[in-house]
Amino acid sequence: MLKVSDLHVRVDGKQILNGLNLEVRAGEVHAIMGPNGSGKSTLVQVLAGREGYEVTQGSATYLGKDLLSLPPEERAREGVFLAFQYPVEIPGVNNVYLLKAALNAARKHRGLPEVDAFEFLALVREKMKFMQMDESFLNRGVNEGFSGGEKKRNEILQMMVLEPTLALLDETDSGLDIDALRVVANGVNSLRRADRAIVMVTHYQRLLEHIVPDYVHVLSDGRIVKSGDKSLALELERRGYDWVKQAAA
Amino acid sequence: MTALATQSLSPSLDRLREAFERRFPGDDAITQWRRGALERFLELGFPTQRDERWKYTNLRRLEMRKFTPADAPRIVPPLPGTLSDASLRVALVDGHCMPSLGHGAQPPGITMFGLGQWLKNDPAEVAAYLRRLGPDPESAFENLNAAFLEDGLVIDVAAGTQWDEPIYVVHAWHTSGRMAHPRIVVRLGENSRCTLIEHYIGGAQVESFTNAVITIEAQTGACLEHYRLQQESPKTFHISTVRARLAKDAHYYGHEIALGAGLGRADITGLLEGPGAEMKLRGLFAPTGSQHLDTYTRIEHIAPYTTSEEEFRGIADGRGRGVFNGKVKVHPHAQRIDARQLSRNLLLSPTAEIDTKPELEIYANDVKCSHGATTGQLDATALFYLRSRGIDADTARALLIRAFAESILTSIEPKGLRETLEEWLTQRFSRTEAQA
Repeated sequence: MLKVSDLHVRVDGKQILNGLNLEVRAGEVHAIMGPNGSGKSTLVQVLAGREGYEVTQGSATYLGKDLLSLPPEERAREGVFLAFQYPVEIPGVNNVYLLKAALNAARKHRGLPEVDAFEFLALVREKMKFMQMDESFLNRGVNEGFSGGEKKRNEILQMMVLEPTLALLDETDSGLDIDALRVVANGVNSLRRADRAIVMVTHYQRLLEHIVPDYVHVLSDGRIVKSGDKSLALELERRGYDWVKQAAA
Repeated sequence: MTALATQSLSPSLDRLREAFERRFPGDDAITQWRRGALERFLELGFPTQRDERWKYTNLRRLEMRKFTPADAPRIVPPLPGTLSDASLRVALVDGHCMPSLGHGAQPPGITMFGLGQWLKNDPAEVAAYLRRLGPDPESAFENLNAAFLEDGLVIDVAAGTQWDEPIYVVHAWHTSGRMAHPRIVVRLGENSRCTLIEHYIGGAQVESFTNAVITIEAQTGACLEHYRLQQESPKTFHISTVRARLAKDAHYYGHEIALGAGLGRADITGLLEGPGAEMKLRGLFAPTGSQHLDTYTRIEHIAPYTTSEEEFRGIADGRGRGVFNGKVKVHPHAQRIDARQLSRNLLLSPTAEIDTKPELEIYANDVKCSHGATTGQLDATALFYLRSRGIDADTARALLIRAFAESILTSIEPKGLRETLEEWLTQRFSRTEAQA
């Protein structure tokens, strides 16, 4: 589904990714771990199409398409979803409006008619209940005045409504207490499907207790230096990142 | 004073003096009053940028033009672009009342009549009233308006009248090359309340000069909800002077939306003369192309226990230039007052400019005054966030611009007016990207 080859990325003149390779197949859940500054967030941001990230070498193909040549909105409509580490507050743009516009943009892209207003609301209400979110969120500005945990829940809610093919989760566990983490993890787990892939970036092993990955990769200095299954995460938790870095050097 | 030193007048002022002599040859009470105002105007001349109130606005372009006083149009022109849901409408075309274009019955307790008609019927009474009201001696444009005053509208609201259905006043331009100096007089009796919408429109090709004056006198406990939407052609010059006098517990809620005119200026003065008086102003100005839109507000807290609140938002793109200058003056003994001011500005192009200047003059010691001003560009992270949800770049930009104007939009109660502005915002900003 996703094939990243020899990806080199520069941000503000600084080389962040240095020949990253990653292959993700449908149905898989990948965890990308690594110390701060290793390039974890850069990887998902660049895959989602954030401006200001300069690809100097390498490629990323998604369902056979050259992902990096598409504008961010095209990627989203093709089924790529990024759950932000710091979801943006946009006062004046209504939450439910954004959800509906996003869903309709994707539907239009697939040649489907706009969603029926009644069905849409029923769908959103159901997902909100699952995410234990109050319905009053719907008519507030996007993330406006939300707590850190509420913002993260809102990201997962959007993901559940949009049903992406490739979900990229950027530090989705950061800033969550244990109850909120469980709700968020349940949301993500409900989306696991044979035709969908999830790539999650995290600093801590804790998230992986709730969302069990098929593969764990360790990122260091902009490259994947070690890959394994979920036991690698436990080892990292025990021994820290230094031994992987040393082993790679 | 009548023997004006004509040789010392600049050509532009001399042109106006000549136009005056041709237009008003008589010597009755009203003409004498007009002449007094003309003389004061000629003394003051067009304001220059040395005047602190006009620091960011150069009037040379206006001064050079040879506009002559507009006559009432002989044919009744259509009025495209007016609000369709107004049940009570008064129309002024080229500054003249056009009763055939108005509709709706006068609400109980509200008396409206054309100022031109009043001038015809009882010039001495009008002169006496205007003399008492007086143009602000320091305002060049108020004096110019008084000098060329011919028509306008008087709205008298009897004490105790509460009428929320808006009175819709259309100021339309039909003829090029002309100037109009309409005047709206609003007199609110004790504990009365009403809503006034003024809408300035005109054909896209019309080149004209509006110099409107709106005076509001609100007696104890009266309230005026005042909406002003300026959508003249980008070839016009538009100057509006609003002066509101508020007695004890009177309220003035002003909404100042400036979208049109090549050079536009709204001058809003609030005189809070009685305790409990309150003035709230919300405004939006959005210059594009080479438009220059200036808003100047002056709120005078004369009595103690008075409050004022201002929120102005500017959106500039192209080579558009916006100005917000908000002055608050707290007079001695005006204790326990509360004055708040907010100026937020959005620049959409590297060649756009917005100047914002708060001015506080405080002569009392027990007061609460605050002001804040920001100027920035669209938030790149928010833009990416929306695009990452499948919203295309143009729509995302339009959404964020619309969101920026949201607090002004939601403060607009009359549905037709709010929808007109929403539609305008959508049309204008969904194509900015393509233009840029």
